Amino acid sequence: MSRGRAMAALPPPRSTWDAINPLRMLGELSETRYWMYLLLLPSALLITAIVLFPTVYGFQLSFTEMRLNRPAGNGAFVGLKHYQRMLADPIFWLSLRNTAVWVTFSIVIEFVVGLVAALALNRNLPGGKILAVLILVPYFLPNVVAGNMWALMLDSRVGVVNDILVNIGLLDSYKAWFADPNTAMATAIFVEAWHSFPFFTLLIMAGLKGIPADLYKAADIDGAGAFAQLRLITLPMLRTIIAAAVILRVIGLVNSPDLLLILTQGGPGRSTQVLSLYAFQNAYSDFNFGYAGALSVVMFVLLMLFAWAYIRLSKVNQD
Amino acid sequence: MTAKFDRRSVLKLGGGMLAASALLPHQAFAQQTAINYWHTFTSQSEAAGLQAVLDLFKAAHPDVAVTPENIPNPEFMAKITAAVVGGSRPNVTMVASERFEDLLAMGALSDMTDRIAGWERRADFDDKRFASITKDGKTYGVPGFTFVDWGYYRKDWFDEAGLAAPTTYDEFRDAAIKLTDASKGRFGFGLRGGPGGQNFVVNVIEAFGSPVKKEDGSIGLDRDIVIKALDWYAGLLVKDKAVPPSAANDGFQQVISGFQTGQTAMIWHHTGSYQDIASKLKPGVEFGTFAMPAGPATRVARLAYAYNCITNDENADAAWEWIKFWGEPDAAVAFLEKTGYMPASTVAAQDERIVGNPMYKAAADTLGFGIPQPSFPGAAGWAQNTVLPALQQILIGQATPDQAADQIIEGLAAAIA
Repeated sequence: MSRGRAMAALPPPRSTWDAINPLRMLGELSETRYWMYLLLLPSALLITAIVLFPTVYGFQLSFTEMRLNRPAGNGAFVGLKHYQRMLADPIFWLSLRNTAVWVTFSIVIEFVVGLVAALALNRNLPGGKILAVLILVPYFLPNVVAGNMWALMLDSRVGVVNDILVNIGLLDSYKAWFADPNTAMATAIFVEAWHSFPFFTLLIMAGLKGIPADLYKAADIDGAGAFAQLRLITLPMLRTIIAAAVILRVIGLVNSPDLLLILTQGGPGRSTQVLSLYAFQNAYSDFNFGYAGALSVVMFVLLMLFAWAYIRLSKVNQD
Repeated sequence: MTAKFDRRSVLKLGGGMLAASALLPHQAFAQQTAINYWHTFTSQSEAAGLQAVLDLFKAAHPDVAVTPENIPNPEFMAKITAAVVGGSRPNVTMVASERFEDLLAMGALSDMTDRIAGWERRADFDDKRFASITKDGKTYGVPGFTFVDWGYYRKDWFDEAGLAAPTTYDEFRDAAIKLTDASKGRFGFGLRGGPGGQNFVVNVIEAFGSPVKKEDGSIGLDRDIVIKALDWYAGLLVKDKAVPPSAANDGFQQVISGFQTGQTAMIWHHTGSYQDIASKLKPGVEFGTFAMPAGPATRVARLAYAYNCITNDENADAAWEWIKFWGEPDAAVAFLEKTGYMPASTVAAQDERIVGNPMYKAAADTLGFGIPQPSFPGAAGWAQNTVLPALQQILIGQATPDQAADQIIEGLAAAIA
């Protein structure tokens, strides 16, 4: 090869503008493996800003002194002080126990009622479509509305529930449901279950539509009854949906204090005090965001542990 | 006939309309300054009272547009804290006196000392009215109206039993017991043991002789006195059975509806519920009002003020116009007539429409001896999260007065630590 031909094959030398032209640089970058990272960058920044930063800040808060009505010492690192206080705080342990009761019973009732409602609605009975809409109405109501509505209906003076129960002979006299520590939690769980069971109904109905009818026909031929079909076909086929619904509802129940805030504010005494309500009161009544942050971190860790254990035990990740 | 438009004409027309639409609203709104007002009014009568003041203000100040925003009491501190931390403060906020110290500490309030000093109606207000909103010589709000604690009693039942309105705790307890007939579902006293009931517990403790905040500024409680006070107050249910069994969960609505529907003979509240009660029972015939009775050591009736405070320095002049307006006698009386809340202005309180009404006599008397709520950082949280649950635990049999007193005292120590 002659020297002249070799010179002609080389690209022309770049001008200064070419060297710094951003469009050209982008073009060259788009042909490298780094291009995909550049495309992911906006999403990564968004996730960092919206998800990671508040979470990390919440963790940081739990190791910090942050009392808004005591600005002098705010921001100081206090190590595990809030967690040590928590271990010795009887209200924390009571709230933890009440949270377990609140979540367990609410979930069980919501799931059972939601499953029954979904199975009934899935039978395509006359009026089923209207019933399907009506059954979802409680879920559409904001917690504030549902809470105040039930507080009024269960009122011991003017509540229609007491009126009905006395008239049909189930009660001798009107009962103050939220003033008795033996009934306050149970009544609150009833209201919560009434409000949220349609969530299970909705998801389970969607899951039922995806189960092939052939499976039930084959089971019929094999002589399987309704209960056997439920146990051997329906529930296993719904396992993934049920797992997702349970985890979402548990997260909602553990984190959201609003219904109890309206119905009982944790009372009477502290018989309906749960962790989310306790954290809320610490933050917005006592303005102790450090301790409230530590309570929130404990709730976060408990929820993570629950989700991990539940997914493992239900073997849903093996489907 | 069909009109023909070419592209150029359509563009010209569109451009002209766009320019006009950009200019017209600008001219229309340029003269108005918009401010928002966070308040905690919830009842119908309160909403009507606020609307009456808004209407008068609109006529007097067409240049200021006030947008009221209702923040219910249970959510108030959460919302205002979030607004302060998040930088989205309202222009004007209604601040109850017991919340002042907490809001000041978090930097929510603007110093209004100079504006108030130069206000032409400053002399209409007694200096005491500003005591609960002043710290280190700086004043952060103007009292909009007064919460005057008093009691309501069923006058017809009292007359029937030959009883007079109680003036002491002993008379009060005797009347409550005598007027109780559980078989008829009738109780002597509608004790507020649910949300909002905490302040009455503190009042009773102070009436028994243990002020939470002493004159020298120190904070603390006498255990023996707290036990006696709790024993007496919770004893109205636990021992005397003169209170509805629902007391541990009874908040404002329950206590008021219990009185309105003939379940209870007496309740404690403030003058703000007067119109609500008068809408169901006939004043002076079916119900009367009484000044809070005297306790064994002293007479405690609260004069709490709802202060209007500048919480955002933007449009502060317009905010100040709105705050000042609440001090006008016409606005104060219009608000009183719709709600029952007494004016904060001494001059407005002398209005014939108030002093000429015998149903307001108990409130007028209380203005003479009433005292403000104890105020210190953490006071509201302590009362709500410690005092109230402690009372409830006695009411439902989960604690003795001794145990509840210990909780209250330990909670107070933690709140001020």
